[in-house]
Amino acid sequence: METIIQSVFSGILMGCIYALIALGLSLIFGVMNVVNFAHGNFVMLSMYFTFWAGSLYKIDAIFSPIITFPLLFLFGILVYHGLIKQTLQEHYTIQIAVTVGLMTFLGAITQLVWQARPRALAYSIVQGTIRFGSYTIALSRLISAIISLIIIMIISYFLAKTWPGMAIRATSDDSNAASLMGINFQRTYALAFALGSGLTAIAGGLLMTFQQVDPTMGLRFGLLSFCILALAGLGSITGLVISGLIVGISESLAMTFWDPRARTLVIYLIFILVLWFKPRGIFGRK
Amino acid sequence: MNPMLHVNEISSGYGKITILRDINFQVKENEVVAIIGSNGAGKTTLLKTISNLIPATTGKILFQGKDIVKFPPHMITQLGIAHIPEGGKLFANMTVYENLLMGTYNHRKNFQKSVLEEIYQIFPVLKKREKQLAKTLSGGEKQMLSIGRGLASQPKFIMLDEPSQGIAPKLVDDIYNKLSILKEKGLTILLIEQNINYALHLAERAYVLENGKIVMDGSSEELLNSEHIKKHYLGL
Repeated sequence: METIIQSVFSGILMGCIYALIALGLSLIFGVMNVVNFAHGNFVMLSMYFTFWAGSLYKIDAIFSPIITFPLLFLFGILVYHGLIKQTLQEHYTIQIAVTVGLMTFLGAITQLVWQARPRALAYSIVQGTIRFGSYTIALSRLISAIISLIIIMIISYFLAKTWPGMAIRATSDDSNAASLMGINFQRTYALAFALGSGLTAIAGGLLMTFQQVDPTMGLRFGLLSFCILALAGLGSITGLVISGLIVGISESLAMTFWDPRARTLVIYLIFILVLWFKPRGIFGRK
Repeated sequence: MNPMLHVNEISSGYGKITILRDINFQVKENEVVAIIGSNGAGKTTLLKTISNLIPATTGKILFQGKDIVKFPPHMITQLGIAHIPEGGKLFANMTVYENLLMGTYNHRKNFQKSVLEEIYQIFPVLKKREKQLAKTLSGGEKQMLSIGRGLASQPKFIMLDEPSQGIAPKLVDDIYNKLSILKEKGLTILLIEQNINYALHLAERAYVLENGKIVMDGSSEELLNSEHIKKHYLGL
């Protein structure tokens, strides 16, 4: 029993970070109907940037988003204007080809620059564990989960109450109608892409406080976020968080009770089951 | 006096398919002008061309003397043109209030709540539905919200695309009563409609669009009495 609770709890903590990653993908997909297959590699890239910031400039992973967020935000704008914009009028297979191409490209770059071996930061100011009775939790994981939830709430507020946030929602409902309101939807698309990309920088920094990075991670985070998005559907941030938790907990239980190597398999399974039975997601709108 | 809108030799279409050919017409300030025609005549394409949702292949569109044919859609609304699209085109997953708020987007730097109050006065039902998602409204309410959202931009000129479409006949009266309120307020209106009786009773003048060309024009009275209209459109 104790192992189950411990495992579920660590799954919940990971699930919050997964939800943050998936939120970025969801923003991009929701607004411009483009599935960014490179999204997981954005997370991986952010982790490597965090590694650099930590190992070369002694910047703690938890603070690295101060640098990596603007970097990835800018990168998102460049990718949007350089690659995505031209494909919006095209068949969706072209968009898939372009983002898969970007994924492969980023994967190759990371192998070249940081090599295939895992990289990790030796030290973060958030260290140690806290104890709840007989359970122990790594402080870095707890703080990462809390920060993820706070960022998700900030984005939620941004979308609900601010002009650029509402412009993103309006554009996602009907881009032509949005432009009739005076919204420059190209700019809204770029903003959504940049924000989706920027969120991976925060997630990357948080992840580096307690784990290492290697070049296979991009694919895993990509898969994770597709799975969460498929589970959540579009339009509900609460649904996205719950889906993140479901994936995090399933993964953690599989690792504890089955085999640590089964973590990806379980995510595939959830993905397939969702696409099979609930192709529009559990929480999404019709 | 210069017309408010002067469409000059406009052609447009989708890809290689030409839909509109050499369209010419004018709307003067404070005038209500209708463009009538049957389904597929190119009416919606015409409004979309003015808003540049579909680019014109040739011709000029002068709004208050300025050629706007190359302006992107979001800049055209900033000049004071409100395009109320066919079928409402609401932001379905936003509330009624948020839809109206998006209408004020051009004036977001000095947003005034009084603008929305004025719209609620014309369409009290919107006030009642304020917090509902737009997709939960009835057909008539959706149309009113779409008109309200257009008015929220405080336009000088509004273009309405088939406000009677998809609405129960009883409610069409309602919508047209609201439109005559707007007319009395002195708004300049371009109305696109296949419901010719309604259109010609609201508008002062009208143009008849058939197969992408304007084939007739005149005062509403003239058109209502013309044999062509009676035979082809009113079934008399």
